[in-house]
Amino acid sequence: MLYNVLRVIRCFYQSQHACSVLTIAHSLRQSGIFSTMREVNIKGASGLCTLVSDGQSEIPQSVSDSENMGKSFFSVQSTPEIEKKYVHHVYDAIAPHFSSTRFAKWPKVATFLSSLPSGSLVLDAGCGNGKYLGLNPDCFFIGCDISAPLIKICADRGHEVLVADAINLPYRTDFGDAAISIAVLHHLSTEIRRKRAIEELVRVVKKGGLVLITVWAVEQEDRSLLAKWTPLSEKYVEEWIGPGSPLARSPSSLPLESIPENEDNGSRDHIEDSMEKMHETPHLTSESKYDSLSLKHEKNTKNQQEYFVPWHLPYHRAEVSGASACALANGLAKKDDKKGAVVYNRYYHVFSEGELERLASGIDNAVIVDQFYDKSNWCIILEKIL
Amino acid sequence: MKLLTHNMLSSNIKGVANGFPLRIEVEKATEKQVELNAGFLRNVFPMIEWKALVDAAQLPEVADSSMLDSDFLNKFHHALLELHLEKDALVCPETARRFPVSQGTPNMLLLEDEV
Repeated sequence: MLYNVLRVIRCFYQSQHACSVLTIAHSLRQSGIFSTMREVNIKGASGLCTLVSDGQSEIPQSVSDSENMGKSFFSVQSTPEIEKKYVHHVYDAIAPHFSSTRFAKWPKVATFLSSLPSGSLVLDAGCGNGKYLGLNPDCFFIGCDISAPLIKICADRGHEVLVADAINLPYRTDFGDAAISIAVLHHLSTEIRRKRAIEELVRVVKKGGLVLITVWAVEQEDRSLLAKWTPLSEKYVEEWIGPGSPLARSPSSLPLESIPENEDNGSRDHIEDSMEKMHETPHLTSESKYDSLSLKHEKNTKNQQEYFVPWHLPYHRAEVSGASACALANGLAKKDDKKGAVVYNRYYHVFSEGELERLASGIDNAVIVDQFYDKSNWCIILEKIL
Repeated sequence: MKLLTHNMLSSNIKGVANGFPLRIEVEKATEKQVELNAGFLRNVFPMIEWKALVDAAQLPEVADSSMLDSDFLNKFHHALLELHLEKDALVCPETARRFPVSQGTPNMLLLEDEV
């Protein structure tokens, strides 16, 4: 209902204020102050608009979002604990090793970048180790990532980069010619944050600018991979979302051991990323043992989208990064002597078919110009129209 | 950090109405040669907030795209892409909050109470 009302408002007033409307609406939703909205004074509008809402939104939401709206106010830009612990800290700890496995350029991304007009300014939000920076030599790239260690790797390679949050890009509006977000949004733990990240990508490109987004799919081409992942029950996701959650106050109250894990299969080794698997032949191992396990797992994971995906950091790499000793002490990582690695878990919300499209469709100043599934990823290209 | 990046960066601390441009307090700056791409310079010129670039580098105070001939293009290129700020602070024009730049990389992450 909320969005239907907003569409009415937008049609009623000048479209240039659509962004303001969405921003205000988001703030209102986030604030938790309103259970019933009475009046919304929209900046730049010619008059007051009166809304009455029963406080219920008809937008499909994950349970965790409904929980958030009922909680005390915190900004969509505050990083939830689950992301701090199971995305940020992990990438910081594994950065050099992670970077060494990130060299293959995914063809669809390369095609997108190569097809941009010469002289384009391209913004890579969540650039990781900078794999795609400079891919098109006729364009200028600026990358950002939340992980300072990963950004250091980019900077050492001569790229123009900065440390920033994809939820809150420190860029002026309408600046870039194109933006890319490659395997980033699936690390955001709420729908509101995932949508906000898309809005930011659209905001920072100029009118007519293109945005390419890729995310991991629920529908993995290699089903046996799912058996390696730990599905998270909604209970865990809810508890870890807000900065005011009990777990934020006492992080040791939920040690890693208490999260149910799938049976570990020792024959699987070094396969950390379904995408990279296609390119990194030396790391492939045969999977015949896995078939029965994966079938059983598939039955249980029909609607499952929240996962911990392991990353095995070899001991000799872990010593280089002092963060691992800390992580082991805090229970954020475990040792696997059989594999000689420190095992970290990365949080993922994998996307179901149509989910990325649905999120992007709710953005008024951009249209979808292409969408496709490729190598276990859902992908979308948006064009900014206003 | 190149001045091109500085020209794009804005302080997005909660409550800040206009976080651009960030004031630069330079501690260490270098020059790095970059191949000139006229097409890129002509494409990006309209997006540049000229005064912010002028204040950050030595350039004529007024400029428009008709000036993009070879001599001015070189000066624009040099200021935009070849001046490299290694260590400095970018200061929010409204809150005076300092965003550090170290080893050429700005850190624009906000603290919990700034979002």
